[in-house]
Amino acid sequence: MNEQHGKLDVKVKSFATLREVMDPQIHMDLPKGATVRSLLDELTGRYEGLDEMLFAEPGTLRNLINILKNGRNIHFLAGLDTPVEDGDLIAIFPPVAGG
Amino acid sequence: MNGYTGNMIHVDLSEGKVTIEPIPPKLQKEYIGGRGFGIRLLTDLVDPKTDPLSEENILVYATGPLTGTGIPLGSRYEVSTISPLTGLGMSANSGGVFGWKMKKAGFDAIVIKGRSEKPVYLFLDNGKAELRDASHLWGKTTGETTDAIIDETGDKSVRVSCIGPAGEKLALIACIINEKTRAAGRGGVGAVMGSKNLKAIAARGDLKITFADEEKLNEIKKRIKGKIEEDGIEKALHDYGTAVLINIINENYVLPTKNFQSSYFENAEKVSGETMAATILKKPKGCYACIVQCGRVCEFDGESGEGPEYEPDWAFGPDCGIDDLKAVAKANNICNEYGLDAISAPTTIACLMEMTEKGYIDHPIRFGDAEGMLKLVKQIATREGIGDELAEGSFRFATKYGHPELSMSSKKQELPAYDPRGIQGYGLATATSVRGGDHVYGYMISPEILGAPEKLDPYEIKGKPQWVKTFQDLTASIDASGMCLFTSFALDAGDYADLLTATTGMQIDGAELLKIGERIWNLQKLYNIKRGFGRKDDTLPERILNEPLTEGAPAGQVSRINEMLDEYYSLRGWDSEGTPTPEKLKELSL
Repeated sequence: MNEQHGKLDVKVKSFATLREVMDPQIHMDLPKGATVRSLLDELTGRYEGLDEMLFAEPGTLRNLINILKNGRNIHFLAGLDTPVEDGDLIAIFPPVAGG
Repeated sequence: MNGYTGNMIHVDLSEGKVTIEPIPPKLQKEYIGGRGFGIRLLTDLVDPKTDPLSEENILVYATGPLTGTGIPLGSRYEVSTISPLTGLGMSANSGGVFGWKMKKAGFDAIVIKGRSEKPVYLFLDNGKAELRDASHLWGKTTGETTDAIIDETGDKSVRVSCIGPAGEKLALIACIINEKTRAAGRGGVGAVMGSKNLKAIAARGDLKITFADEEKLNEIKKRIKGKIEEDGIEKALHDYGTAVLINIINENYVLPTKNFQSSYFENAEKVSGETMAATILKKPKGCYACIVQCGRVCEFDGESGEGPEYEPDWAFGPDCGIDDLKAVAKANNICNEYGLDAISAPTTIACLMEMTEKGYIDHPIRFGDAEGMLKLVKQIATREGIGDELAEGSFRFATKYGHPELSMSSKKQELPAYDPRGIQGYGLATATSVRGGDHVYGYMISPEILGAPEKLDPYEIKGKPQWVKTFQDLTASIDASGMCLFTSFALDAGDYADLLTATTGMQIDGAELLKIGERIWNLQKLYNIKRGFGRKDDTLPERILNEPLTEGAPAGQVSRINEMLDEYYSLRGWDSEGTPTPEKLKELSL
C-alpha cells in the first residue's frame, strides 16, 4: 500500500479475449483522485489494441464491456467517473456469454 | 408445410406398434414445434395424475421448423415428458446433429408411450420407422451404444440419441445423450426412456426440407450472422467456451461455492475457460450449422471427451470445492458416458459433502476431495452403494437424512451456477420456472450480469417481474423454433419471427412470437397446476431466502422473490395463487 506516498495501489485483472492484448493481472500505482476513466487511459496507453477493444468512441465504453470495482459493475456506480480507491480490485471483462 | 417434414411418429412400445401421421397445421401455427409441440402433446395425451415412470407417461422428441435448415445455430431438439425428478411437465433441450438428422429422416416429432417387454431402439430411415432389438446394447455406455448402432447399420451418417446405464437404472437425474456428448440434460428424461426399455433413437436420411421464401431467408441469414458476429460474444464463446463465465460470475461474487455456502471461489481461475483453453483444450467444436463453436474437445492423461461446459465445470468444481480441472473434465466425461445430468449429479454430491462436514451422515467425502467425487459420480450412475440414494437427486437424499434445507433445489431440481441472492431477477426466474430449478427457461443472467441486451442492476427488484416474463415467453418460443438459446444474446423477437416467416410461410411478427411463447408457458403452467403445483412451490431454498451473502459487493443480500411474486403473477394475468385467469386463457386461445 502506497497511500502514505500519495499513491493508490490498485489491482487490475483482465479476462478472456482481453488477455490477448494485456496482462491477466497487474498492480498499478495511481494518483489520489484517480477514476476508472484515468485508470483506463493509462492502460490503453500501455497496451496497444486495448483502446479499440474497450471503447466504441472516445469516452464511451462498448455495450458489452463490463468493469467491476470490487465486484460491483461501475455502470451502477458513477460509470467511468467512479473513483478508484486504495486497495481496489478492478476487473475488466470483454463481451462474454454462456450458460 | 415448408420448414417442416409434416410428419410425426406415434410409437406404442407395449404393443410394438409404429404409426406415422401428418402433423395438424393448427399445432404448427399455435405451438411452432420443439417445446411447444411437446407440452401440447403431453397435455392432450397424458392424464395429469400419471406416474412419470409408468407406461402411461410419454416421451416426445420434437424439432422446430428452424432445426436443420442451415440457419446459423438452428440445431436443437426438445424432449418433453413428465419429469420423475420434479413431477413437472417439462422439456429438456439438446443440440449437436441429431435434430437435423431426425428431420432429414422425415420427422418433426416422435411420441413414445408404453413399455417394451425387452430393450429396443427406434430406427428412423428416410420416411420409415421401425423398432429393433436392443438387448445387446443394454448396459452399454452412450459411446458404446452409438458406435454399435452405427456399426450394425453400416452407415456412418447415422446419428444416435440414447441413454446410458444411469437411465436404464432409472436414476432420477439421468439424461439423454446424442453424438456421445450432447445432452438433453435435465429433469431425469433419461429415466423415463429407461422405464420404457427404449435404449436409443437412431436416424438417417437425406430428405429435403423446403422453404417458403428462400431468397428472403438467405437475406435474413446474412443479417443474423452479422449480428451474432458483431458484438464479440461469438469470439469469446469460440475461444474459451461457455466456461468463460466462471471468472465473471465469480468476480461478481455470485459463483455458488461449497453447496452455496459461499459465493466466491478463491481458485476459480484454475477451472476457468481461460485455463481450459491454455491446458486441456484440443479444439473448439460446434453443433450442426454453428458459427460459434462453443463446444470443447478436451484431451488429457490419455483421455478424450467433450466439455466441460460452464455448468458442470462449476458444479464439479467450485460447488464441490474442487479446483482440479482435469478431475472436473473426467467427471463430466463419466456423466456423458453413463448418461447423467451434469448439473444435478455434482450438486447432489455437493449436498452430500455439506452433510458429511456437518456430521449429518457418516461418509468420508469432504469438499475438495476430487478422487472421492469421481468415485461417487460412477456410483450414482450405476446406483452402487450410497450412489443408489444419491441417484434420486439432492432433495430426496437430504430429506431422507432429515435435512431438506441442504438441498439447493427448487421444485426438487437442483439450482444451476448462479447465486440468486446477488441476482434478483434471476432468482425470480428460477423460482417461477415451470420446470423447477433452472437457468435456460429465462436467462436473466444476460441483462443482469452480462449486460445484454442492456445492463440491469442485479441487486434491484423494480421492473424485474416484467423482464422475467418477457424472457420466459421469448425463450419458450425460441425452444419451439429449434434455434439455440445463445442466439438471444444478439437477436430479438423480430429476428426469430422473420426467420420463421421466411422458412414456413406462416405470417409471424415479434408480438405474435412472444404470444406463442406465452401460450406455451401458460399451457405448461396449467398442466403443472393439475399435477398439484401452486404458489407454495414457486420458491427457493431457505438458505437463499434467509441467509445473507457474506462476501464482496452483494454481501448482506438475500433473494427477494417474495416481494416480486405478486407483481409477476399479476403481469402474467394469473390470480394470487399463480393460476391463469379465464380471461388470460381466452386471450391465449387455451
